[in-house]
Amino acid sequence: MYNESKLFKTFRYLFLIASCLFVVIPLVPLVFMAFKTGAEYSATPVLVPPKNWLNFYNFAYAIRVGHLGKALLNTAIILTVSLGIQMVFTTMVSYVLHRFNFKGKRIIMTMFTLTMFIPCVTTQTVVFQIIYKLKLVSTIWSLILLWSGVGIVGIYIMFNLLDSISKELDESALVDGANYFTIYRCIVLPLLKPACTTLLILNGIGYYNDFYMPNLYLRRDVQTFTVALYKFFGNMATPFEIVSAAILIGIVPIGIAYLFMQKYIYYGLAGAIKS
Amino acid sequence: MKITKSAKIVIIAFLILPVIHLLVFSYIPILANLYLSFTNYKGIGTPKWIGIKNYKKLLTDTRYISLFKNCLWYMLMAIPQLTFAFILAVVVNGKFKGLNFFKGVLIIPYLLNGVIVSTIFIIFFNNSGTLNTILHFFGIMNTPQWLQNLRIVNPSIASISIWRYYGMNFIMFFGALQTVPSELYEAAAIDGCKKMQEILYISIPSIKNVLFINILLSISGSIQVYEIPYIMLNGSNGTTTPVIQINQSAFSDNKYGFAAALSILVFVIVVIVVGLQRVITKKGED
Repeated sequence: MYNESKLFKTFRYLFLIASCLFVVIPLVPLVFMAFKTGAEYSATPVLVPPKNWLNFYNFAYAIRVGHLGKALLNTAIILTVSLGIQMVFTTMVSYVLHRFNFKGKRIIMTMFTLTMFIPCVTTQTVVFQIIYKLKLVSTIWSLILLWSGVGIVGIYIMFNLLDSISKELDESALVDGANYFTIYRCIVLPLLKPACTTLLILNGIGYYNDFYMPNLYLRRDVQTFTVALYKFFGNMATPFEIVSAAILIGIVPIGIAYLFMQKYIYYGLAGAIKS
Repeated sequence: MKITKSAKIVIIAFLILPVIHLLVFSYIPILANLYLSFTNYKGIGTPKWIGIKNYKKLLTDTRYISLFKNCLWYMLMAIPQLTFAFILAVVVNGKFKGLNFFKGVLIIPYLLNGVIVSTIFIIFFNNSGTLNTILHFFGIMNTPQWLQNLRIVNPSIASISIWRYYGMNFIMFFGALQTVPSELYEAAAIDGCKKMQEILYISIPSIKNVLFINILLSISGSIQVYEIPYIMLNGSNGTTTPVIQINQSAFSDNKYGFAAALSILVFVIVVIVVGLQRVITKKGED
């Protein structure tokens, strides 16, 4: 930059490398383990690499026994449907609250804002009974229903973008005879795409990794990936090298999501804190 | 804009379902919980009003007070986590080669779910695990039972949050530093400002707010800890947290009234912490 000495540059890289080692070292045994045979695992120390890096037995075993494919499919369905509904709802609510002035607007906005004071863990005792009465416990619909609501972070992300979209565009369309539904669908929705992507990534990662809700609502054979992994892990008879392989399989989707959309992840993290 | 009939229709059509969702799954449950917390509701039958008995039990029984004591460990661990992330962000601030690579490595723990993190740290704290292997390598042979010793199990598992959130905190701080106008640094450079002074007088003050918000986020997160102690130890060895206890009381013991009281207590703490955060964010904007 401007007045950086060589010493300072060295310091920067030393700090960064130390931090990366701190992150990576606990992960190393997990990767090693996934490729070790059972006998090798108990005979060698955790930080010794496997003899054969092409030993995929653990992966095949994990997929066969853990029903991981089914669990990943369930997760995909739940995420697609709930996030799809959530995007439609969030853009609709944001459009109406941003573009119209009407009686009760402040109350509704306040109601959405105040949800940040209500952590989901403090309401589940009652929500569970509602879901139970609706006969949705242990079905994917419980999570789809609960995750399709509109969150305040989503509204804020949409508002940021709506601020920069000129209202004149809506108004001229209105003069041309378009109705509000057409304006929403043909003008507002396409322009909100980048905001939707950010929200999609942020909540997508959150829901994919969530353990609390799936563990509470999916009690039988219908499972998400996290719960399937937990059942696997909680069962002490499952050897660690198999669990490690299962975990590496589960990291693949999130790794791909990261590689393609890192820009949005960082943007989302910054946006989440501003709201 | 005048509200026409067609505007009215679109407003109602677009708001009705999300608002119903909000009422049914957020507001009604929290109000119902408030009511149930004064009853001995067991999940079936009619709730019987018992006054503040549930709260009295929560605030006097040492078994339940220790739930909140466990949370203190998680708050304590947030101090090194935030301090190191803050220092790292301030020190590495600038443009340099390999930034994206380092960001990519440091964000990994944030992308992993609780079950994966738990597995990693079961291996890490194991008697022949990663930590002991490293300690033995440096000649430290007298290592404790990290997860079985009742006196160190809570700090052990609470320290996992340093690993889990350190990189994410760094990226947030780093991102905030990027928004500082570069003219400020240029002007300082012209005036003969040293790197150290630049850090002290420009970088640190400009991300103070983000630091405060992260402190409060960590506190409210500490109150709601659930995954790691539940998955790793099922809350045994004295690692139960308020949220584990809520689930245990409601869904295993059918003591919904008591679980509701504990929920309300957690809720009140979060309201205070998040409220403070809002005040600080607002101040930062003015």
